Amino acid sequence: MTERLQFALPSKGRLMEQATEVLAKAGLEVRKTGNERGYRGEIVGLKNLDILFVSASEIAWYLKTGKAHLGITGADLIQERMTDWETRVEMLKPLGFGFADVVIAVPNCWLDVRTVSNLDELAGGFRATHGRWFRVATKYINLSRQYFVAKGFNDYRIVESLGATEGTPAAGTADLIVDITTTGTTLKANGLRILDDGIILKSQANLIASNVANWTPQTREVQNEIMSRLGA
Amino acid sequence: MVAETAREFEALEAQAHTLLSTFVEAGHEAVAPAVLQPADIYLDVIGEALRARSYVFTDPDGDEYCLRPDLTVPICRLHLERHPEGTTQGNYCYNGSAFRFQPRGADAAHPREFRQCGIEAIGSADAEKTDAQTLARILKALEAAGLKEWKLRIGDLSLFRALLEAIDMPQRWRERLRHRFWRPLAFREELENLTHAAAAKNAADLPDDLLTALDPGKPEEAAKKVCAYFDEQNIDLIGIRTLEEISLNLARIAADQRAERLPEATANLIEGYIGVNAPARAAGARVKDLMRDTGVDIQPALDCYLKRLQHLSDMGVDIARAEFSAEFGRSLEYYTGFVFEVLVPDLGDKSPVAGGGRYDGLMKMCGAPEDVPAVGGAIHTERLLKAVRG
Repeated sequence: MTERLQFALPSKGRLMEQATEVLAKAGLEVRKTGNERGYRGEIVGLKNLDILFVSASEIAWYLKTGKAHLGITGADLIQERMTDWETRVEMLKPLGFGFADVVIAVPNCWLDVRTVSNLDELAGGFRATHGRWFRVATKYINLSRQYFVAKGFNDYRIVESLGATEGTPAAGTADLIVDITTTGTTLKANGLRILDDGIILKSQANLIASNVANWTPQTREVQNEIMSRLGA
Repeated sequence: MVAETAREFEALEAQAHTLLSTFVEAGHEAVAPAVLQPADIYLDVIGEALRARSYVFTDPDGDEYCLRPDLTVPICRLHLERHPEGTTQGNYCYNGSAFRFQPRGADAAHPREFRQCGIEAIGSADAEKTDAQTLARILKALEAAGLKEWKLRIGDLSLFRALLEAIDMPQRWRERLRHRFWRPLAFREELENLTHAAAAKNAADLPDDLLTALDPGKPEEAAKKVCAYFDEQNIDLIGIRTLEEISLNLARIAADQRAERLPEATANLIEGYIGVNAPARAAGARVKDLMRDTGVDIQPALDCYLKRLQHLSDMGVDIARAEFSAEFGRSLEYYTGFVFEVLVPDLGDKSPVAGGGRYDGLMKMCGAPEDVPAVGGAIHTERLLKAVRG
């Protein structure tokens, strides 16, 4: 196994910019190595470290399997991808960007539904009238299921949705959604309202360590250096 | 548990043979339903939570299947295939694999894959007698396999149902309490709501004059008022639920808020019943005392409970080893009446060696036109082998 610390960073978009920015502010300058279009990099002045540029959702998988020692990605993606995330990874430090809430939203016209428990109460009658259970559109299948189980709500079906989730209730493909939101404007524009107890998770980007990666004294040393610079 | 030795396999097979022969001798037909089951039926019966504890997958045609998490639903389906009307009597026994996802990782006490051996009695009219017979046969099989030390945990969900029926309250509240019974925390919260503060949070932000004007007895009027409110607030009607559905339900919520709360004494009675935990015979007396003190009559359901105990005793089951718990059965949503677990001291209370109960609603959920009386029990064969070996 390699003795070099593998550090996974988002490979594109706002998340990548913000991650490199936060690191740069801490004196950790990220630089691509080799081809500009490549997916490898380094931190100037740090030995025994490789940067891996990976999509934000893949980072969860890298940490879960130990392919990366450290990573920066959203807490929502970590908790969605690992049912046992508390044992697999360690959240080292919230980084102050990538804020997003995972929320349950229903049509605003459902004046009679303010809480998950209202949904639960309504489920039987809904099914009797419409011949099916409530459909919940989401890409957060595990987070939704865990939250609903904890709330005692079980009479629904998940419809996996990989984009434009907030449009599904109006389109009729789902009845309610679980999705991320930052300001709530998109939800409102689509005639949706967050339930009173509908915030499943307040997420932001985190520095995360994998507990299952192959840690050696050398890689720990590099981790400590990164953490002390970040003030973690 | 990556693999098992051939010797282990043979020991389990031999044990299954012993168990099955006692069932066959008692008149149960041995059947072997499919391991792969359509996920739909389980999802309908158990709900979306099933996915969190089962192996559900999509086949190349896009249809959802699961590795059966138990054998009761497959046997109901098998019975329905033979008798679409469902009411024909059928006594079955089986031995086969069942599969459960273990979120904290699998170990010997929580295997992903295990073998269940059990019986189901479908369509038999004498409920108490069939309940007792089922338990007696499970115990007889366990003893034939060499189990000596055991104790029983029993419950009866029909007592709770009878209690709710006997207490004076709006039918809607009854249904809510019944529905929430499966979720102890939500149940307590609901009971609290019905007893004390109006469920005000149900309709937060809505103007009082809208709520007070709504009457579930006048659905058309309610719809008009809600429609006017939508217009005034610029709320679009989206989704499949109609204005009538929304306004009627809102009117019911408003009526609930206006309705008189449950008396404290009633809430105490319900809590008191749920707290009953006693040896089987003493429990009957305890429940009777509770009812006498509050003037609520559930004698017919209590008679059924006592009759079942009598049957068990007549069939040679040592009732002194049975402990009744009113709360027992709360985690198993499809049970409707008698429930039981057989416990072995070495394995602890969390790992029963056998369990079962009455599930009168399950056949209908599987497609029968009506409810069909049914009761069954299953033995966790790996645990039994361990218990017998000591």
